[in-house]
Amino acid sequence: MIEDDFYRTSSQFRLWSFTEDSLRSLRQDTNRLASDRVRDALRRAREARQSANSSAAGTPNPNGSDADSKTGDEKDIECLTPDEEQELVRYFCEQIVQLGESYKPPLPTIVRATAIQYLRRFYLTNSPMTYHPKTIMPCALFIATKTDNYYMSLRQFAEGVPGDTSAEDIIAPEFLVMQSLRFTFDVRHPFRGLEGGIMELTAISQGLGQPAPHNPNQSPDDLRRTMLSLSPPPNTQSSSSISDRLARAHHNTREILKSAAQMTDAYFFYTPSQIWLSALLLADRPLAEFYLDTKLSAPNLDSTHTLTQLRAKLLTTLNDCSALLHSYNPLASDPEQKKALRRIGKKLYHCQNPEKVNLAGQKRIPAAAAAAAAAASVSDPATPESEMERLAKKRKLESEAKRRDDIFGGELVMERTRERQG
Amino acid sequence: MAFSPLVAPSPSATALLKKGSATGQENESQLRHSSSDREITEQLNDEVRHKYIKAKKLGEGTYAVVFLGHLRADPSSFVAIKKIKVNAEYKDGLSMDAIREVKYLQELSHPNIIALHDVFSSKDQNLNLVLEYLPRGDLEMLIKDSNIHYGVADIKAWMGMLLRGVWFCHKNFVLHRDIKPNNLLIASDGEVKLADFGLARSFADPYLNMTHQVITRWYRPPELLYGARQYSGAVDIWSVAMVFAELLLRVPFVAGNSDLDQIARICEAFGTPTEDNWPGVSKLPNYIPADANHLIPGQSRDFFLRQFPTAGAVGADLLMSMCTLDPRKRSTAYQALRHSWWATEPRPTNKEDLPRKSGGTKKMGDDLTRRGGELDDQFKHAARQLDFSAMKA
Repeated sequence: MIEDDFYRTSSQFRLWSFTEDSLRSLRQDTNRLASDRVRDALRRAREARQSANSSAAGTPNPNGSDADSKTGDEKDIECLTPDEEQELVRYFCEQIVQLGESYKPPLPTIVRATAIQYLRRFYLTNSPMTYHPKTIMPCALFIATKTDNYYMSLRQFAEGVPGDTSAEDIIAPEFLVMQSLRFTFDVRHPFRGLEGGIMELTAISQGLGQPAPHNPNQSPDDLRRTMLSLSPPPNTQSSSSISDRLARAHHNTREILKSAAQMTDAYFFYTPSQIWLSALLLADRPLAEFYLDTKLSAPNLDSTHTLTQLRAKLLTTLNDCSALLHSYNPLASDPEQKKALRRIGKKLYHCQNPEKVNLAGQKRIPAAAAAAAAAASVSDPATPESEMERLAKKRKLESEAKRRDDIFGGELVMERTRERQG
Repeated sequence: MAFSPLVAPSPSATALLKKGSATGQENESQLRHSSSDREITEQLNDEVRHKYIKAKKLGEGTYAVVFLGHLRADPSSFVAIKKIKVNAEYKDGLSMDAIREVKYLQELSHPNIIALHDVFSSKDQNLNLVLEYLPRGDLEMLIKDSNIHYGVADIKAWMGMLLRGVWFCHKNFVLHRDIKPNNLLIASDGEVKLADFGLARSFADPYLNMTHQVITRWYRPPELLYGARQYSGAVDIWSVAMVFAELLLRVPFVAGNSDLDQIARICEAFGTPTEDNWPGVSKLPNYIPADANHLIPGQSRDFFLRQFPTAGAVGADLLMSMCTLDPRKRSTAYQALRHSWWATEPRPTNKEDLPRKSGGTKKMGDDLTRRGGELDDQFKHAARQLDFSAMKA
C-alpha cells in the first residue's frame, strides 16, 4: 500500500473532497434551499402575527390588506448569495483563530485548524441564514478541543468565550454540528507533513540526506552541494546561511498553512501534502523545487519518462494550489472586505430564518424537526382533506408560529437595541 | 504472508460501506425536493437510518445498548447497532469515548478491525453506530472455556490476525490503548477483529503529553504504570504480548489486583527495571526505586521457553521481544510480523477451521456495551460459571 491508498480511505477524501464544480453546485443548492425556506418561514411568521393581531382586535381583517402586505413584503426579502455566505463563514473562521488566541494558554494551532474545517464543512450543507455562524462557531471550536485531545471542560471553555454566551448556548448545537459533519471528526492537516519535509531538508543541508531509491548514485554530499548552490528565494536581499534559509522557509510556510490554507477551499480540493508543498513553493520556490527533484528526478530522464511526467503533473497541481493560497487576503488588512462584511451582516439580519434561531431552547433539534416533518407529510397536498381538518391544522400551525414568534421577537428587539447602541 | 493488503469487502459489506461520496450530489438533490421541510443533513441522516432495521437487544451496559439489526433491503445481512446512551450527568456534550470510537473507526478500514458501516442519529439525539456483526464471541470466551481445545497453530492464526490489525492502527498513527482478549471479537468466518476504540487516540506530536491512565491493568505496560506521559505503539505491543501469553497459559499472565501489585508482578515475571536494562526509567514520574537487595534479574530466553513450552523456542523468542521492559527495545508490530515464528512449523490454522463456541452473539453484545479500560469482576464470575457447567457435564 502506498500513502495515497491510505489517504483514499480517509473520511476527508471520501466525504470532504470536491471538484470546483461539485463544490460550487453544492453551495448553490444549499443556498437555494435555505432561501426558499427563509421566505416561507418569514411569511408564516407574518401571517401568524397578522391573524393574532386581528383576532386580538376582535374584528375581521379589512378587505385586501392582508394580501397586499404579503406580496409587498415577500418581494423585499433579499436572501444572501452563496458568495456572501462564504464571506461570512470566512469571517467566522478568522474569529476562531482570534478566540483560540484569547485562551491562556492559547489553544493549539491544530485545534483551531480542525475547528475551522468543521465550520467550513458545516456550511456546505447548512446556510448562515438558517444557523447563524456566531452560534455555530464556538461549538465547532469546543468539539475540536474534544476530538483533538485538548481536553478542557465546557465550563472552562465557556469562560473564554466573550459576551454573554453561556455553556448551554455553546453546547446546544453540538449534535446538529456533528450530524452535519456526518460524524467524521478526523481532519488531515498539512502541518506534520511540513515538519517531516523540513527535517529531510535539514538532514540534506548537514550532508546526511538520503538519495531517492531510483537515484542510488547520488551521494549525500551531492545533495548538499546542490542545495547550497540553489538561487536565493525571490524578495530576499541578503544572502544567508542555509540553516537561516530553512528556518525562514519553515516559518513562512507554516504561517501560510495557519492562515491561507485554512481560509480558502484548499482542504476541499487538495491533499495535505499538496497543500504544504504549495505553501513551501510560495515561501521559497527554489527550495521547494529542489525538494521535489530529490524525489522525482534522476539524471538522463527524457520527457516521456514516468517520473518526468509525474513531476510535471504534480507541479501543475501545486501551482494551482499555490495560486489559491496566494489569493487569500486577510480581513484585517482589507477595509473593502470589512465594508462588504458589514453590508452582508445587515442583510443577514433581515433574512435570518426565524424558526431556527433559538437553538438552545430546542434541546433536541432533530427530534423537533422530525416532528415537524411528520406533521408536514400528513398534510401532503396530494391527499384531499376535509375543510374541518384543514382549519384545525391551520390553527395549530398559527399558534406554533406565534409561539416561535414570541420567543424570537424578544431576541430581535434585544438585537436591535444592541445594534443601535453599537 | 504476514501482511494482508486491504481485502475487498464481501458483497453485503460493499452495499453497507457505501457511505456516500463527495460528489454524490445527485441523490442529495433528489432528497431535497422530496421533503424540503428537512435540513439537508437531516435528510441524509434519515436516508442512512432508513437502511437498517433494529431487531432484538443483545446487551445493555451503562454506556451503550447493542441491538442485532439487519439491512432493510436484505434481512440476511446482519449488523450490530450500538446505541450510545446520552449521559445526563455529563454536561459537556458527547462523551470522549463515543467521540474517539467514531473518529477512529471512520478512518480505519482493515479486515482485522471491526468495520463501522454507518453512523446515524435516532429520534432522541442518540448516536447509533452500525457495526460489523461478529457472532462468534471473543478470544476471552475461548480462552476460558475448558471444553475448547486449541493448539499452537490456532494461537498462531489468532496472533497473526491481531498483529495485522495493530500494525494497521499504528501505520495510521492510531494507538488503540485497550487491547485485551474481550476486545478481540470473532467474525463468522473466524477472522479476529480488534474492537472498542473508546480509548484510542492519534500519536501525539513529539514532546506533547498523553494520559497514562489507559489500558486495562493486566495488559498495561510498565512505562504506563510508571506514569509515562510520552509513549508509542510499544504500549499496544505489550498488551499484544500479554494476550499471547494468556492464549498459551489460558489464564492472565500477570494479573495484579492494584497498580502497585501489577508493577510487583511484572518485576517478578520479567525482572526489575533498572537504568541498566532500561535507560531513563528512574526519571518516570511514578517510578518506584527498586530495593537493591531484591533486584530480580532480567529473564533469559530459557525462562520464556520454560514458562511457555507450547510456544516452542522461536515462539518464546517472539513473545520475549514483545514484552521487553524498555519500550524502545520492544518489537514494533512490523518487526513482530517479520519474525521467523510465522514461517516455522506448524502453519497457522485456516481461519475457517479455528475452534469455535456458541453463544457468541450475546458475548458481542456484552463486549460492545462495556466502557473502555474497565477491569470488571467478570473473570471470576465466568470462572464460576464454567465450573458449574463442568459439574453438570
